[in-house]
Amino acid sequence: MEIISEVLQLFLHPENFLAIALGVVIGVVVGSIPGLTATMAVALALPFTFSMEPIAAILLLVGIYKGGMYGGSITAILIRTPGSPASACTLLDGYPMAQQGHAKKALKMALYSSVIADFISNIALIFFAAYLAKIALNFGAPEFFWLICFSLTIIISLASGSMIKGLLAALLGILLSLVGLDEVFGSQRLTFGNYNLMDSISFIPLLIGLFAIPEIVEFYRKKALPHIKAKASGASVTLSEMKRSLKTIVRGSLIGVIIGAIPGTGATAAAFISYSDARRRSPRRDNFGKGEVEGVAASEAGNNGVAGATMIPLLSLGIPGDVITAIILGAFMVHGLTPGPLLFQENLPLIYALFMGIMFSSLVLLVVGNGAIKYFSLIADIPKEILFPIVLMFCVYGAYAVNNDTFDVWLMLGFGVLGYVFNRAAIPAAPFLIGFILGPMFEDNLRRSLLIGGNDLSIFVRGPIAWFFIALTLGSILLALYRYVTARRLPTQTDTSQEAP
Amino acid sequence: MMNFLKAASLAVCSGSLAMAASVSTVQADEWPTDDVRLVVPYAPGGTTDVLSRRVADLLQEELDANVVVENRPGAGSTVATGRLARGGRDVDHTILMASPGHTIGAAIYPDLAYDPVEDFVFLQNLIDIPNVMVVPADSPYDSVEEFVEAAKEQNMTFSHSGVGSSIHMSGELFKTLTETNMTAVPFAGSGAALPALLGGDVDVSFENMPTVLSHIKSGDLKALAVTSAERSEHLPDVPTLREGGDYNLDQFVTTAWFGLIAHESFPQEAQDAMREALDAVMQREEFQNFAEQLGAEPGQVAGEEFKQFIASEVERWQEVADQAGISQ
Repeated sequence: MEIISEVLQLFLHPENFLAIALGVVIGVVVGSIPGLTATMAVALALPFTFSMEPIAAILLLVGIYKGGMYGGSITAILIRTPGSPASACTLLDGYPMAQQGHAKKALKMALYSSVIADFISNIALIFFAAYLAKIALNFGAPEFFWLICFSLTIIISLASGSMIKGLLAALLGILLSLVGLDEVFGSQRLTFGNYNLMDSISFIPLLIGLFAIPEIVEFYRKKALPHIKAKASGASVTLSEMKRSLKTIVRGSLIGVIIGAIPGTGATAAAFISYSDARRRSPRRDNFGKGEVEGVAASEAGNNGVAGATMIPLLSLGIPGDVITAIILGAFMVHGLTPGPLLFQENLPLIYALFMGIMFSSLVLLVVGNGAIKYFSLIADIPKEILFPIVLMFCVYGAYAVNNDTFDVWLMLGFGVLGYVFNRAAIPAAPFLIGFILGPMFEDNLRRSLLIGGNDLSIFVRGPIAWFFIALTLGSILLALYRYVTARRLPTQTDTSQEAP
Repeated sequence: MMNFLKAASLAVCSGSLAMAASVSTVQADEWPTDDVRLVVPYAPGGTTDVLSRRVADLLQEELDANVVVENRPGAGSTVATGRLARGGRDVDHTILMASPGHTIGAAIYPDLAYDPVEDFVFLQNLIDIPNVMVVPADSPYDSVEEFVEAAKEQNMTFSHSGVGSSIHMSGELFKTLTETNMTAVPFAGSGAALPALLGGDVDVSFENMPTVLSHIKSGDLKALAVTSAERSEHLPDVPTLREGGDYNLDQFVTTAWFGLIAHESFPQEAQDAMREALDAVMQREEFQNFAEQLGAEPGQVAGEEFKQFIASEVERWQEVADQAGISQ
């Protein structure tokens, strides 16, 4: 009983509520601006938290993190410019929806699935942290390798239309992901002596170029594009759509939780894995990529599911899983607190108060998100000839802001050309991105496993987690083969290759 | 139209003249006459960035001028450092937070367009963070001797946070000095590397002290030695590597150092002002508490001494990189 009053005393403090609200608002705004990421916002906010109470300080940073995770989807849906890498996947269905006049529906679905995923992620953090942390520790390089193998087989399902084009895009993505320093030997790969490429191709300029630029080029090429009445006041998510997507959201959240609990994976991968999984299971899979509300739900659930879960290794093991949690770790330490098992023993009331704040932040996200949609969705009503020059400016600025380097602007424009070629040749972008994101993880974990095992291949079958993912990988390939064979028996149903992407 | 353009250009010209005039009047005053730019050669959020922002805050008060932090990540700090070396207009108001990447980068990146020693002035070494040689809790080795003896018989693996990090190079240095069999296993940052060590997938690591301190205290990791010259006050019972003296380890002293540098043409007056301000910053309680929380010790060297330290580091890492086959 004593602990409850202590927790409430710590938590029920106006400063805490203010910190959460401010954090989420900053996060949503920063997240929605291309080139400004939640990571930057958290890093910039850190010095301001030094003088705050520890709980308020951490909650401010957590609020920014969560807001930023959602905020990226707004511009992805409205102007085909992902505000953050993790929302690149949301764009695949979100933007087509906006084009069809369903901007509001897409934004609302993104918000609802974000909030639900966030909530599930928090529950996982609060009740299963110790358990999930144990799994994460058993998730070594070989297990990771099989997880990535499984995820790569999903490309088969994403290569809608032409399988050749899908594989081509995926291989191109993997090829481009090879650029940079070799992780083991430190030698340069495909950098052509250009020092700007040594840290590999920056992801944000790539995203902006690939998606936003072709849209602008297309508009000016055709000039008389039928003016899409993407009304901000369009219909919201209907109950039946919500019902239909609920399973997807829950599954996506769980994928996010697992990915988030393993240090070093990230929200972008989670979004794509969730999206691919949803597409494979959905009866409406042919509509994915053309404006399917379930696709938006899957991707946002995947990336927001990560947010709470990255706190699991941080709080229970003291291990930051990504850059943002590394900064939050810094905030803990500035206040003389060291996350890890000891914190649970020494400072339990503080942890509980923090948990209450984190739960509360889901609610704040819902409110702030709703407000953001109300105003941001007006963007959909701006005539394109006024909107696109502004978008172009944001593209250039966003690409520049990542590293403060003009090289990235050229890179962005280069990928703009590539994106345009993709559009014209009807090559799907999703496999390209998956190749770019998962390719390096595949390579690194393969090499890491071989280094750890001393080139002994038995390390790849060393335990139940590895066996589980081997089974999933094989199952996934067999299922695809089965579908291929049955589809050949019913040729009329599969003739989707004629459709534009 | 012509008139308008003329008038506009006239206005701009006179404006800039006025500005130039105002600058020259300010220049009669003491340095700094403008905002000071603190370049962080890494992305926001890392140790270098957090330290820089803390220092910028305090420096601002001591210098009585704005100190603007600017992140320019890329190629292990060499992008920002190269840019600083090329000089430019505001070079007399630009400082850069250098770290082991400065010396290691010089060893592993080919064709750097700058000299890591001669192209800069070295203002002040702010903090040193020792590395700790750690093994998993259930590791059979309880001392450096036991570990080295075993590593002469069988191959050992060590995890690190990325090619060219101080953690990686410490491992390579250890391998070279002790003439043991060790394989480097790279990870994307310490956060990803730590589970492999905790889970026993790798045998040893030479991690930064703040990253592993809590795990050592909770008993999840065993500390065999610290890499600094003296024992750390955070781990007074853990010997230094050079204490044993065997296996050539008496030469093993490395720390992750952080310090401010500037372009070689940085004016003497500015150097003096910076040195004075940095001395004051390092005396501040806020700074000392901050360093304490990082598990860091205050930096020892400044000026010419700092430069000599850098020169010897560059030479050493070049040797290690050559032996490990990391440089091209």
